[in-house]
Amino acid sequence: MLTRQERAPIVPEEESNTKWRIVVNEDWCKGCGFCYTFCPREVLEKSDKFNTKGYYPPVATNIDRCVGCGLCEALCPDFAIHVEENEEHSKRGGK
Amino acid sequence: MSTEEPKIGVFICHCGSNIAGVIDIPQLVEYTATLPNVVVAEDYRYMCSDPGQDLIRERAREKGLNRVVVAACSPTLHEPTFRRVLESMGLNPFFFDMSNIREHCSWVHTHEEEAALEKAKDLVRMAVARAAELEPLVQKEVDVKASVLVVGAGIAGIQAALDIADAGYKVYLVEKEPSIGGHMAQLDKTFPTLDCSSCILTPKMSLIGQHPNIELLTYSEVREVDGFVGNFKVKVERKPRFVIEDKCTACADCLEVCPVNVPDEFNTGLGWRKAIYIPFAQAVPNAYIIDTEHCLGMTPIACGKCKDSCEAEAIDYEMKPEILELDIGAIIVTTGFKLFNAMEQLEYGYGKYPDVMTNLEMERMLSAAGPTDGKIIRPSSMKKPKDIAYIQCVGSRNERYNNYCSRVCCMAALKQARQIREKYPDINVTIFYIDMRAFGKGYEEFYESTSREYGVTFVRGRVAEVRGSFDSDRIVIRAEDTLLGQPVEAEADIVVLSCGIQAAENQGDLARVLGIQLSADGFFLEAHPKLRPVETNTDGIFIAGAAQGPKDIPDSVAQAKGAAASALTMVTAGRVKVQPYAAVVNEELCAGCGICEASCPYGAVKVVDNVAQVTEAQCKGCGTCAAACPNEAIAPQHFTMDQIIAQLDALFQEAR
Repeated sequence: MLTRQERAPIVPEEESNTKWRIVVNEDWCKGCGFCYTFCPREVLEKSDKFNTKGYYPPVATNIDRCVGCGLCEALCPDFAIHVEENEEHSKRGGK
Repeated sequence: MSTEEPKIGVFICHCGSNIAGVIDIPQLVEYTATLPNVVVAEDYRYMCSDPGQDLIRERAREKGLNRVVVAACSPTLHEPTFRRVLESMGLNPFFFDMSNIREHCSWVHTHEEEAALEKAKDLVRMAVARAAELEPLVQKEVDVKASVLVVGAGIAGIQAALDIADAGYKVYLVEKEPSIGGHMAQLDKTFPTLDCSSCILTPKMSLIGQHPNIELLTYSEVREVDGFVGNFKVKVERKPRFVIEDKCTACADCLEVCPVNVPDEFNTGLGWRKAIYIPFAQAVPNAYIIDTEHCLGMTPIACGKCKDSCEAEAIDYEMKPEILELDIGAIIVTTGFKLFNAMEQLEYGYGKYPDVMTNLEMERMLSAAGPTDGKIIRPSSMKKPKDIAYIQCVGSRNERYNNYCSRVCCMAALKQARQIREKYPDINVTIFYIDMRAFGKGYEEFYESTSREYGVTFVRGRVAEVRGSFDSDRIVIRAEDTLLGQPVEAEADIVVLSCGIQAAENQGDLARVLGIQLSADGFFLEAHPKLRPVETNTDGIFIAGAAQGPKDIPDSVAQAKGAAASALTMVTAGRVKVQPYAAVVNEELCAGCGICEASCPYGAVKVVDNVAQVTEAQCKGCGTCAAACPNEAIAPQHFTMDQIIAQLDALFQEAR
């Protein structure tokens, strides 16, 4: 039995020309959790593996939703995370 | 206090057979003549008619009457009529009382004639007792502010605002959405003429934007209404749109950079918009707005891409809500309707099968400016459908949802069916209906040509169930064809639910803010269904459009023009009479306890220097303070304690 849900758009979502990659320097992370708590697009999650210091670093499980806002980068107290353009997947010059 | 002996004339109305058909009038007259202070007791077929009014004048002259009681219909209907009669004889119009023996007696006791007579006697006796206690009052005249507030800027609000502004008066037009236009802006074409909806609406919208007499307040809501007819004090909250309207040039640079896609409400969620957006291309005001729920820039260090790209520097993340205080003479409420939520009627499968859609969704799909550029596709497969079925009366004429007929869905379905057949002659359209209601000018002709010339199929019967087919991706509709008297099963690729009109979600809250009433179905209640269709029971507040009940565009426009004319009558006259019912305080008795202040629902009573004081302009004469006061020190005029006790004494005197 399907559950009832609000109407979803029938036309496909316009894809952004720019794709993003999140780079985590795992060993700098002290597991404060700011990045995944405040990510407005719910891109990041707590990893299930711990780093050399014994903390759980973030992992970008939902990278398709990332819009490159850079909030995680701005919030990280240890400069352990940054967002960069994924040039391999970005469509340069637009479509 | 009048010291002369009361001489009361009681006039009993037959109201044709409305009263006389149930109550034995001669007996009632005979009884009335025996009541204390009654000098004249007479009956007449229609007291409200000219000869009826003349009868009152004649008897008053002959017998020197100084009080008049009319036993007839509700005072809401004819109290003003009879007060004018008293005024014309030089009597104070407040030496009049009305006994309602129609709504309160004959109409509700049609089959209990004897009991009805007894009740009528009680009612008349009470009115006579109160009449003896009446005191002369002076009606005050107050100035009317030369400005009108119109709440809601759909087609009704737009029309009302334009009419008033053209007459030279100031109009404040408040709309809660970021753009004016309402539901009409979402329609592709309008029945029965198939005019393009935006082509006839947008010129009016841009007139609103440019009119020197109209102050347009979009994305704003009415929060508080104080005061009274002619002198309302209204607080309007302007919600922050985070884009400065005057600076925004609608250049769309921000759209290019905004990274967030959100389902587009204007396209009923069928398409996408950005977190910074304009509701539709012809929106008025033509300025963008930021949807704070989805925008990332609300956390300032996060996004801010739109602000960086905006050359006009129109974006301000720091914008705060603003409260405006307006002085208003009259208010017109045109807040429109809400579409019935198809999800509620479970058996039609909306929300379960993507190919079951609402009539408004189909309207957006048919629109050349819509998400599919006017192409009809099945939401599930994005392919062209072969069969489309319409189900009428979804949420309407159904005791589980709304009992009333929504009045527009039959014609809307016919119009869409015709548009589909015009665009795609190979798509079959079937309409399942209970009754086709094509009642307006040119509607029946439209219905006939749609069925005859455009080959639309009609099946008469309420649909019982909509479900997915077991062996294809199509949808199965089961109904009873009441013309053939047998169950039918049909398959379709798209099922369109003709969802009805219902009262807007916050209509009750708004009614409370404005102090107006709702009818049983949740729409605003008019003062009289036939003769005062745009007035409310609160003086100076008028209603129009679908907020008063389901209505199509021609009816909404007509009613809006009516409401505008009524508001103009008041504003143009410049002065209006107010009822002198405000509470008065007996300062000798007042202990200054403040219970009245706490109980007053209108904030009209304040205790100053240990004595209660009434702001007459704010008092509505409701009597709550009088009931609460432990010392009987405060009472509204015309409903004094003496008058009410006299009525009660009269009621129980027979029983004693």
